[in-house]
This record gives sequence, structure tokens and C-alpha cells, in this order.
Amino acid sequence: MQNYVTLTIDGAPVRASRADSVLDVAIEYGICIPHLCHVPTISDLGACRLCIVEHVQNGRSKVTTSCTLRVQEDMVIRTNTDKIRKLRRNIAELLVAEAPNSRAVQDIALRCGVKQVRYPFRNKTCTLCGRCVRLCAELWGARAIGFVGRGKDRRVDFPFGVRPDFCKECNSCIDLCPMTITPCDGPMKTGEERLCGKCEGQLLMNENFPDFCVWCALGEGFGCARHA
Amino acid sequence: MIITSLLQVKHRDHTGLHMRELTMSVKSLDVIVEGRRSQPQQLIEVLQDVQDLCGYIPRESMITVSKELGVPLIEVYRVASFYKAFSLVPSGKHVITVCLGTACHVRGARRMVDQVAGQLGVSPGGTTSDGLFTVECVNCLGACALGPVVVLDGVYYDKMTPRKLSRLIDSVRAADSEGRANA
Ligand code: SF4
Ligand code: SF4
Ligand code: FES
Ligand code: FES
Repeated sequence: MQNYVTLTIDGAPVRASRADSVLDVAIEYGICIPHLCHVPTISDLGACRLCIVEHVQNGRSKVTTSCTLRVQEDMVIRTNTDKIRKLRRNIAELLVAEAPNSRAVQDIALRCGVKQVRYPFRNKTCTLCGRCVRLCAELWGARAIGFVGRGKDRRVDFPFGVRPDFCKECNSCIDLCPMTITPCDGPMKTGEERLCGKCEGQLLMNENFPDFCVWCALGEGFGCARHA
Repeated sequence: MIITSLLQVKHRDHTGLHMRELTMSVKSLDVIVEGRRSQPQQLIEVLQDVQDLCGYIPRESMITVSKELGVPLIEVYRVASFYKAFSLVPSGKHVITVCLGTACHVRGARRMVDQVAGQLGVSPGGTTSDGLFTVECVNCLGACALGPVVVLDGVYYDKMTPRKLSRLIDSVRAADSEGRANA
């Protein structure tokens, strides 16, 4: 079996290893697909929905998350159509309304072109990206934390809410958590949440180079795989 | 067995179960996992049996199930906390389920909830402090023509009114205190 496939991303033919996801390949080729829950070396969950792309097949296009989409021979992918950018902006807007108290989330909103937030701010302490859960299970095999509850009560917790003795207290869950990066002006109080939008240059960048990875400084904030 | 004693201590202050039943239930936990050991795919079935047996999923049983089936504890907890069919807190001796489905709603199911809340002092999802009643709400029981429907311990009561409901609750209470006096 061939180990390489050729696919088209935004009109450019690219070669990729069969095991890669579309997101991996796009990042490698310098195409910007904003993402939050994807972390290289751990499995992908498709939790944040930011990395959506259009997968064109038989003249029809399907919107799906690129981190969970394996590359295939002759695949046609579009990462920056108007449709995708609109959907992505909305997802980022929801995300920043849910958890505005993170520079990572604010950065993503900016990179996705969010200019105003039409949803009520909730000021949650977790984006439910599941980075911590997967890291704990896959890197350390500890499985000390996981998702608990359902719907609006879904949260990350220890079993029964107490730190079990098999937690290695390695704190890697915290290291990877996007919520630990506070906004530049410090944490926002409840009732004072807002879209940060200070890095206006980045907003311009989003307008001028929406589909190119420009190695934006924001990427570091949200742990963009390019910077990892 | 450590788990045995833990369960007993835990249950003693819980009005729904008595000591003798308890020792039985611990034995039955063994029975439940028997033949399903090291079979992670059996998790939901096992939890369902535990729920049937105890009326809720006790913490200690989750620890046992995790060990016996070889499922990480957090996974057991995740599943148990996800499905509505599982309860993590002991439910009362009697369970009152009020249907809030569309058909029942338009026929005034809200008034049943208010009645229960007023009479028992608990909101849906809660249990009275004496452990006698747990109040739950569901969205449609498939008996819409009979609405508003209220279910008490698996028995359906149709065309409910706050007055009928209030009498029903009183009768259960009376029966219970009588039963206790005779015991
Ligand atoms: S500190 Fe380490 S072992 Fe404990 S929950 Fe976090 S990642 Fe898992
Ligand atoms: S605690 Fe942090 S890393 Fe874990 S799911 Fe929530 S936001 Fe993501
Ligand atoms: S859904 Fe793909 S990176 Fe989050
Ligand atoms: S709405 Fe109550 S039974 Fe259907």
C-alpha cells in the first residue's frame, strides 16, 4: 500500500502521509485553520469545532472538522470559503461568549474575525476542549480526570469530585489548559466581560491573509500546533 | 469485605433500606458482576442492575464495578453521571413522576409540579428530607390522551388535578406511617 496520498487543499495539490489528518497537513503547508482542542501527539476529539473545512465530493460539499478527517487520495478540501469563514466566526463568537476569560480564546476570536459578541457572556472556567482529559489518559495513562454530567452541566472533574490517589499531580492538565492564559489586562470580573480586541493588527491580518498561516503571535497564545 | 461494611455504614441513615436488605444488596452486587468480570462492554448493563437493586448508584459500588470490569473509575463515573436513568443520590421510598410533555403541559401539568412542590417542599429532582418522596419530571410518557399524567412508583394516574394529587400523596403518607407503626 502506498504511504502517501495527494490531495488538494484550497486549490493547491499537496502530498501527505496517509495517517495524517487534514488539519495536520494544512498546518504543515502553512494554511491557517484555526483550532483549539487539537494538540499534536494526542488523539483528536473534534470538541471545539473551530477547525471546520469544506470537503468537496461529487460536486457536493460537506462541512466537517479537519482534525478528525483523515486524508484520502484525490480529496478536495476548502478551508476558507465564505461559508466556512462565516460558520467559523460564529463558533468563535460562541466560544468567547462562553469563556471570555482566556487570552487563548480571545486570540482565536480575533483570528477568526469576531468583531462583536451577540451572545450573553457566561464567564465559564472551561471551554470543554478536553485537552486535559486526553492528555491525562494518553500521555500518563492516569485517567484521573474526565467529562462528567451532560448538557449544560457537563464539566471536567475527578471521580466523585475528589483528587484520586492515582493522579500523578504532574499538572500537565493545567499546562495545556487554554483557560490558564489570562487576558492581557488581567481576569475580567463577572459583568465586565468583553471582547478584548486589543490586537487590532491581528484583525487586519485576518482580513488580509485569512487563509495563510502568518505565524501570528496569537498562535502562541492558543497553542496553535504550528508553534508547538 | 471492606466494601460490605462501607455500604452498611452508608446505608444505615438512609430510610429507604433496612439492614437486612443491605447485606443482601452487597451479596447481590457480587451476583451482578459475576460472569461479567473483565468485560468493560458490560458497564451499562451492570450499572442498570445496580440502579435497580439500590435505587441509585452508590459510590462504593462504582469503585467495585470499576475494579471488577476493568473500566477506569472516571469512565464509570462519567457514564453514571451522563445517563438520566442513573441516579447518584439515593432516591426516596416513593417516586412521583410528573409528565411535562406538550400534551400534559397544555392541560396544566405545571400545576401538578406546583402542587407537589407546595405539599412536599421539594422541587423536581429533589427528595424530601424524611426520604419518603422523590419528585421527578419527564417529557412525555406516551400516554398523552390521558394527560396530565402522574406516575407514582410505576403506577400511572391519568387526568390528574392538584386535588387528586394531593389526596394521593396523603394516602401514601398515611399508608407509610401505618406500615411503620405495625412494623
Ligand atoms: S495532574 Fe497529571 S495525572 Fe493528575 S489529572 Fe492532571 S494530567 Fe492527570
Ligand atoms: S479544563 Fe481546560 S483543558 Fe480541560 S477541557 Fe476545560 S478548558 Fe480544556
Ligand atoms: S474540533 Fe478540530 S481542533 Fe477542535
Ligand atoms: S405529554 Fe404527558 S404523556 Fe405525553
